Amino acid sequence: MPDTAAGADAGRGSPRPLLWACAALGGGLLLHADRVPAWAALLALGLLLWRVASARRGRWAPALALRALLALALVVLVLARFRTLNGLAAGTTLLILMAGLKLLETRTRRDYFVLVGTGLFLLLAACLDRQDLLRVPLYALEAWVCCAALAVIGAQGLAPRAALALAGRALLLAAPLAALLFVFFPRLPGSFWAIPRDQQAVTGLADSMSPGSILSLVTSYDTAFRVRFAAEVPPPQERYWRGPVLHEFDGHTWRRAPDAYRPRQALHFLGTAYRYHVWLEPSRQHWWLALDTPAHSPDLHAQLTYDYELLGSEPVAQGLAFEAVSYTHTAAAAPLAAGARREDTALPSGSNPRTAQLAASLRGRTASDAQLVQAALEYLRGGGFVYSLEPPPLGADAVDDFLFRTREGFCGHYASAFVVLMRAAGIPARVVTGYLGGEWNPVARFFVVRQSDAHAWAEVWLEGRGWTRVDPTAVVAPERLRRGILDLLPQGLSVSERMIRSSPWLAYLLQRWDAANDWWSERVLQFDYGAQLDLLARLGIRTPDARQLGWAFMLALLGWLALITWHVGRGGRAARPDALARAYARLCRKLARIAPPRAPHQGPLSLAAVVAAHRPELAPAVRALLERYAQLRYGPPQGAGQARAVAEFRRAVAQLALP
Amino acid sequence: MHRRQGDDRLPVVLERRRLYILPTRAGAAFGVLLMLMLVAGLNYANSLALFLTFLLAAFALVVMQLCHRNLLGVQVQSLSAAPLFAGSPGVLRVWLGDPAGTARLGLEAAVEGSPRVAADAGAGARACLDVPLPAARRGRLRIARVRLSTAHPFGLFRVWTWVHAPLEVWVYPRPLGRLPMPVYGELQSGRQARPAAGPDEWSGLRPFRDGDSPRAVDWKAYAREAPLLVKEYSLGAAELRLFDFAAVRLADTEARLCQLARWVVDAEARGERYGLVLPGLRLEPDRGPEHRHHCLAALAAFGLGPGG
Repeated sequence: MPDTAAGADAGRGSPRPLLWACAALGGGLLLHADRVPAWAALLALGLLLWRVASARRGRWAPALALRALLALALVVLVLARFRTLNGLAAGTTLLILMAGLKLLETRTRRDYFVLVGTGLFLLLAACLDRQDLLRVPLYALEAWVCCAALAVIGAQGLAPRAALALAGRALLLAAPLAALLFVFFPRLPGSFWAIPRDQQAVTGLADSMSPGSILSLVTSYDTAFRVRFAAEVPPPQERYWRGPVLHEFDGHTWRRAPDAYRPRQALHFLGTAYRYHVWLEPSRQHWWLALDTPAHSPDLHAQLTYDYELLGSEPVAQGLAFEAVSYTHTAAAAPLAAGARREDTALPSGSNPRTAQLAASLRGRTASDAQLVQAALEYLRGGGFVYSLEPPPLGADAVDDFLFRTREGFCGHYASAFVVLMRAAGIPARVVTGYLGGEWNPVARFFVVRQSDAHAWAEVWLEGRGWTRVDPTAVVAPERLRRGILDLLPQGLSVSERMIRSSPWLAYLLQRWDAANDWWSERVLQFDYGAQLDLLARLGIRTPDARQLGWAFMLALLGWLALITWHVGRGGRAARPDALARAYARLCRKLARIAPPRAPHQGPLSLAAVVAAHRPELAPAVRALLERYAQLRYGPPQGAGQARAVAEFRRAVAQLALP
Repeated sequence: MHRRQGDDRLPVVLERRRLYILPTRAGAAFGVLLMLMLVAGLNYANSLALFLTFLLAAFALVVMQLCHRNLLGVQVQSLSAAPLFAGSPGVLRVWLGDPAGTARLGLEAAVEGSPRVAADAGAGARACLDVPLPAARRGRLRIARVRLSTAHPFGLFRVWTWVHAPLEVWVYPRPLGRLPMPVYGELQSGRQARPAAGPDEWSGLRPFRDGDSPRAVDWKAYAREAPLLVKEYSLGAAELRLFDFAAVRLADTEARLCQLARWVVDAEARGERYGLVLPGLRLEPDRGPEHRHHCLAALAAFGLGPGG
């Protein structure tokens, strides 16, 4: 049998399948609208709108050669923009553009299906790209629209509401099995192929710092990570989260030391060991933020560096969880290596002469390095320095300018100036960037550390103690230790964020939301190979072998199939009779008053005979109606006139007066 | 074609064990899409993408169930086909319904060599599908089996079954030829034309045949529990004609049959009385649909074995 489906050329009928296919594709497009280059989004959206607008009118399709040329041009454009076709951003852009081109030649049912498939693939790409809880309803909506579009393409007469109901019902029935598969489907411990890096949309700390660079972070209310302490919680003045440690200074910008292998400074850990769990939000950076000094690397995928930073082997693209142990007090177990000392006292020659003079005078007044540090802090405390997020610009000798002229700045300025001052005095010193503090969420019982908690401080090497944290900002603005920057400088907040902060009720909602997000990211997003093993172990499957899992899964699958078979079967029988059947039922009820009620096997004509036998005087009217019914029900269909004829029949039944 | 299980007696309700189901081309493409999504989800170890993939996979299984359910329990009420002329397409009319009154949408029917046609049976209603029959040569067209299928809803799967209810349709010779129509007298001189019946005269009842107009059915008699009868009217006639195979001045047998068919059709259309003489067969002049059918069927069967 030739497979020429009845809808081989679906374009001739109603424009509904096309509109639905466009809706499915458009939904996928909108999910990426802010991620792909604006020209690509606009081009695809324009093509989509054009196609929708021309759905009812005649179609114009450019020649094949022109379309091929257009496709080639778009590929070249994408290549020029991304330098690759691999990777999520480039792939998505290309997909969107090609789908736009496909719109130029959509005619058949197959074309519509391709559009819906593209919509689904865009949805998948959106899932790979962003997994915020807030976006999940959008994704669900898009999945629903895509499935409804499939329904309309499959059955062209389907009304939008019926299609949505059908697709929604099928998706709801599918959800339990999807959850089952989600839990039991074996995950990979690694990946099939290396995931290409996307270097766009980096948030969080960078591995360099100029005095102003932190500013872009501190005005952002986004969550950087969440922390839950297992037992003891460090006091507020010790909640320093270590990010990149910076050694090299060129007079303006601080950078990390070159990636040469250096042995880690040997340490004695002192005081309390803090155990905690961290959930990192995606930052596309390598940093795993840990409390002050982590004792060891928590994971094979992260390396504990020379500076006790945790450096992941992959950028944090999708959120990540780890468990760590940290100390906030340490002592060096070995002297500072000569090379490190040289590096951490180096300054650009001839720069910041007044700072060098200040260092020399401080050195003259104090007997030890520790005293010098205290004297420097005193200088900052008493020097009329102001904490401000909008400091005046600095000149060529930035530190001199800051210390002796403007005296206004925030953590970046203070840390930078302090370290330069220490180095000028011959004390090894370095800048540490990271986060300070965190907001306690009483609902979920964890700390939320936001980008606005980004901070920079200094570490100086003191003989006999080793690297010691000094936070010059805390001297100028002591309250910064207990509260976030945005509490100190609310003008940095957007209006909506200020509103949230001023209302306890909104703040509580926000905490609830954070807690929901936490659940989402811990239970759903981070459900990986390890989490799966944990869950199976909790279900009593200690060493899951394929056969056992297979059996368990098959059983569950059969249960689900039985359930939906029952449900599908039941759902079918509850169908509402059509208008003609309802009118006939009404007629039968009326006739039951004057004659024996209709037996199940009785057809309309034999019913007419029965009525005629009982009430001959009513027979002509009744028979006419029953014959009309027989003709409407069993006669050949009358096409468009059928509905009108049924409506007339219904009226006639309603008007039939029986004594 | 014979089946182990024997032929179906209509009406027949389609049961589970005779339904087959496979993905359509769109369904296969959907499967490939799911595989791609699975690989991407696993590779990126992305929970959300994996859940989406599983949701769509489960959705496909639900769709399979819904599709199967859409054909399961459908009642094949009747298959009928009116005789057709060779070379022109005919129609096989299939009535489908659901005894429970459930709506069955997107029901399709096809015979071998013909495209599928689709129709809906709304709740409590029936679906009437007119399957085009392939143009055939004269004789008797045997339709051994009809394929009923549905891809509703979603079109990802198609469930189908074969209904083995053999049906034979007369394929009349194609009415062709331009020879003038002979009158009775030309052939058998000396005999008088029979008196014609009056115009629009009620000429009696005859049993219902497929293809009769429902307007001609005597519903009142039917309501009195009588069999289905059709009222026949005669229109009155002008001429009396006799068509003789031997007298057609054409060389080719098929061309002669075509010419005879042309005359029969034309004479009936004009309301004339006509008879047919074939070697070994003589049909006395008469008229009416039944007579026309006898004549055309005789022409169709001419020279063919009893098997058609």
